[in-house]
Amino acid sequence: MTWKDGVADLFQRAPAGLRGRLPAEQRADLRYYLGRYRPWEAGFDRPPPEPAPGQVTGPPDFVGIGAHMAGTGWWYRLIADHPGVTSRSDLPVARHYLTRFITRRFGPEEVDGYHRWFPRAPGTITGEWTPSYAARPWVAPLLPLACPEARLVFMVRDPIDRLLLGLARTSDSRASQAGDHMAEAVDRGYYAAQLRRVLAVVPSDRVLTLQYERCVADPAGQIAATYRFLGLDDSHRPAGLSRPPDDPAGPVPPLDPGTRRRLADLYAGDVADLAGLVPGLELRRWPSFAP
Amino acid sequence: MRPPRVARAAFRRLSPRTRGALLRRAGLFAPWEDGYGLTPPAPAPGEHTGPPDFVGIGVQKAGTSWWYELIAGHPGVSARPDLHKERHYLSHFGTRPFGPSEVAEYHGWFPRRAGTITGEWTPDYLAYPWVPALLAEAAPAARLLVMVRDPVERFRSGLSFRLAQGALPTEATEALAVRQGFTAASLRRVLDRFPKEQVLVLQYERCAADPEGPLAATYRFLALDDGFRPAGLHRSVNVSGAKLDLDPEARRRLVELYAPDVDDLVGMFPDLDLALWPNFAGDTGDTGDTGDTGDTGDGGPATGRRDGAVTGP
Repeated sequence: MTWKDGVADLFQRAPAGLRGRLPAEQRADLRYYLGRYRPWEAGFDRPPPEPAPGQVTGPPDFVGIGAHMAGTGWWYRLIADHPGVTSRSDLPVARHYLTRFITRRFGPEEVDGYHRWFPRAPGTITGEWTPSYAARPWVAPLLPLACPEARLVFMVRDPIDRLLLGLARTSDSRASQAGDHMAEAVDRGYYAAQLRRVLAVVPSDRVLTLQYERCVADPAGQIAATYRFLGLDDSHRPAGLSRPPDDPAGPVPPLDPGTRRRLADLYAGDVADLAGLVPGLELRRWPSFAP
Repeated sequence: MRPPRVARAAFRRLSPRTRGALLRRAGLFAPWEDGYGLTPPAPAPGEHTGPPDFVGIGVQKAGTSWWYELIAGHPGVSARPDLHKERHYLSHFGTRPFGPSEVAEYHGWFPRRAGTITGEWTPDYLAYPWVPALLAEAAPAARLLVMVRDPVERFRSGLSFRLAQGALPTEATEALAVRQGFTAASLRRVLDRFPKEQVLVLQYERCAADPEGPLAATYRFLALDDGFRPAGLHRSVNVSGAKLDLDPEARRRLVELYAPDVDDLVGMFPDLDLALWPNFAGDTGDTGDTGDTGDTGDGGPATGRRDGAVTGP
């Protein structure tokens, strides 16, 4: 362990209140100085882990592509609970690998590098869920190169609820530019535009779009559909089927009616487009957009 | 009271992120930052306020500071040096209530002398989807200006600028830089609220090559005397520093990403000259690395001279 690792560990173990006294951007600077980057940061260069004995690597069998603050952590846990799925706790669920190639070359070596992030036991499937993949327009064209056979899962949620939760969740680490922080959050809710970019390069039968509110109302039915989509035995009943109360995906902060109307207006066209793309979408569950 | 020179020199040696954090801690915010006070300054004697006559809404790193200064240099325009060209007022109302008192407050940011016009240029407005609706409410008669630029070169310039300004090196920062290049999609939201005749689209590369024609057209668009020739017509403003390295394969992917939006933009504004955007001229699938072609920073005149007027109404 280097001295930088030691300092980083000490800092990590410090009480959150103490760490929070340092502004977010200075905390980030300290991390960068210590060589610690998060998977969504440009300096991240951690190599993929060695496969455990008996494990093999290869392209992911499934990739969750969205959406941030739509219960994807909960749904990934239900998938990972299936005995037919390998999920290693030392690997981030959100690999964020494909978001790193906006200015960098993406060729065969990079594809191989991606595959090394997916160790699995023989006879099982594995995958990841990076909620920002759908929202980053440069990622969709990489998917057919990186994992042409993968099944894609997209969990969507009332875009206004998603926006409010996203803003609340990222308020600590936000860009100092107020509008940019907001624009990033607003953008993540244009699901139809995102889905169209994916469907331009991936056949529609390999994309499953789930609705968060339907999953909350009928988790058993929706997880069975998810298992079937992934080629898994759909009779498995995972632990923790109901959404856990401490899930970061709720509850939604309040909003004044005038602003809600403006936001509904902002998303109305995209939601209508989404309803056309995803026939099972139940708009009655999104009161601001209910017919 | 200004701090001593030594303190100012020491402050400048700090990283942009640390400088920003210290300023914010001291309660000093830029117009685009969360804590910025939205109450406008009092009008000077002889000034009155009202809705802006013009609003530049895009795009970042396309020479908008230079062009705003050329407009502000016209004797028919009021531009107070203590007010930032980027008011950013509307940027703050994505999820905040916006009603008559906010409209009045926005108008307060536009003092002008009798017989002159005034306005602002916030290049980020175009990339913020909630702004067109607010603008239509707050300044329905304003003339809107958009300076567009080759989106791939704009992306390179925009991302290096943001990183140099202290933005965290995250995919969100990259996504912001990418988003600002989807000009046609953003302009469609504006044209849902404003008639096309109220929007002037300028092409940065054309303005840089031969500013006189586009500037006269800008003055005419703003109902100003187009015979005026401002100082600094060929002066660079806000020139950006080192450009971001872009792998040729990544450049090809970016060109493909932007190609449909560029097609849409040219469909809406057919006077745009794609010959000035080598990334998109001709076969968009095989661009190679155009390096710094046509890119002189952010406002510096390019070499060579091309004739032609601005695009728009």
